[in-house]
Amino acid sequence: MDARVLQIEGVRHRYGALTAVDGVDLRVAPGECVALLGPNGAGKTTLIGLATGLLAAQEGRVRVCGGDPRSAATRRHLGVVQQTMGFPTTLTVAELVRGAAVRAGRPAAAAGPVLAEVGITDLARRRSAKLSGGQRQRVALAMALVGDPDLLLLDEPTAGLDVAARRTFWQVLARRRDAGVGILLTTHILEEAASTADRVVVLHRGRVVAEDSPGGLSARLADRTLTARSGVDVVVLRGLPGVLTAVRDGERVRVTSAEPERVLRAWLPLDDALGELRVEGAGLEQALFALTDDRSERDDETMGVPA
Amino acid sequence: MTAVVERAVERREGFDARVLGVEVAEGLRAILREPTALFFAVLMPVLFFALFAGIFGGYTSPSGLPAAATMLATYGTFTVATVMMVNPGVTVADDRTRGWLRVKKVSGTPIAVSVAAKVIAALPYALLSLLAISAVSLLVAGPVLDVGTWLRLVGVLLLGGLPFALLSLAVGFVASSNATVAILNAILFPMSIASGLWIPPEMLPGVVQAIAPVLPTFHLAQLALGQLTGAGGLGHLVALLVSTVVAAALAGLAYRNLRV
Repeated sequence: MDARVLQIEGVRHRYGALTAVDGVDLRVAPGECVALLGPNGAGKTTLIGLATGLLAAQEGRVRVCGGDPRSAATRRHLGVVQQTMGFPTTLTVAELVRGAAVRAGRPAAAAGPVLAEVGITDLARRRSAKLSGGQRQRVALAMALVGDPDLLLLDEPTAGLDVAARRTFWQVLARRRDAGVGILLTTHILEEAASTADRVVVLHRGRVVAEDSPGGLSARLADRTLTARSGVDVVVLRGLPGVLTAVRDGERVRVTSAEPERVLRAWLPLDDALGELRVEGAGLEQALFALTDDRSERDDETMGVPA
Repeated sequence: MTAVVERAVERREGFDARVLGVEVAEGLRAILREPTALFFAVLMPVLFFALFAGIFGGYTSPSGLPAAATMLATYGTFTVATVMMVNPGVTVADDRTRGWLRVKKVSGTPIAVSVAAKVIAALPYALLSLLAISAVSLLVAGPVLDVGTWLRLVGVLLLGGLPFALLSLAVGFVASSNATVAILNAILFPMSIASGLWIPPEMLPGVVQAIAPVLPTFHLAQLALGQLTGAGGLGHLVALLVSTVVAAALAGLAYRNLRV
């Protein structure tokens, strides 16, 4: 097998005048989980579509386990959860998962253990028409896993899942990753991406604007978050030198700043009772926001597009 | 990063007949569990046959055969054409609009296998309809065909359903489910009337009689009648083959532009 389960090189894809993916390079190794992050319209779903072979790259090269993802033989190495997966309403969960096993070249009997792994054995005899949105997502995951894929491509896989189901979902993914499965996923739940992904790739306007570990990406931002119990009005705090944002959450206030010491020097004299102070680095969400927001402003200026 | 474990997954490669089996089974379940789509396709031709066989079944046709026998050929053609034209196209359109065709494509299922399964899954229902009209004929007019002739007739009708299934797929590849039903019925009913499947062609206006030889339903009906009379049907067979090629080309063209 190729050393990389997914290899995307210099790929471009356009929809008419819109360039959805613009010269992206991306690799996923066996046993690696890569989270693809970015705002809506960044090109994440297009990139997943290219990796599944549903879209043909107009420029560049896409390889899955060394093969062309548009060939049926290569696709059997893939497990895919798409954003919108419609199942025939006449089939039961067990029939859907058994069918997925056979389509992936595996025995139909592989369905039973996977239903148990995903925690939907009790739904086995239920018709897909009677499933909730979250249950459908879990069935989709079971269908993606039952073929014992080498690469999992998951487009917003936790959308619609409750907390318990999400926890199970990430546990299942972690086990598969530890077993050597490569994973490329998109998500809007950044905490989950931070806790599970080995690497984060940030897309914006079809381009990779950052690629790092979740911690490494957060550390790139000079901004710090100061959290403290304080009675000072956030409007006053926002006026202090060095404060970028100030938000109240009950008794606590969260302030972001690139100069935390300067902020503290101005804040402490205003509040004798200030307590439970914590200074932390920026989170992944702030890093993502900064990366994509700054970039969009710069791009808008360059391209002459009105904001 | 987590340590990588060597994975050894046993996986069947190349064409797997089990995939076709799964596809056919899913198609049969779909019809069995949600039969409303085929309700009119199966029931209506049978009711039509019961009505007209009840009125005219006892007469003798110009060929000297009992009218109930010739009606088995013409209404049998209508029955098979209805099932084969409605079912594969509508289910493909449904799968496409639902996103299920995309799921299957990503899974590595060749779409050709998937659509072949839809045609195969429709055949038992076409056979069921033929059995139903045969039972009605038996009730109304008694045994009008020997078993060998009846088997030949059923075989010709089922094989002759292929161009209708291909035409059905061509529409189903491009239109929505509802539009597919409307378009296919808009093709099927005029074609059936003009081919003399409901009333003898001799009773139709001249202009309609002139159109009939370009319609596949006409040629299938004539081939079916030929099984009863022993008349040679080479010309009708060739015409039906040409229809199949044209329908296959249309289906292929639609498939090439298929967006899943």
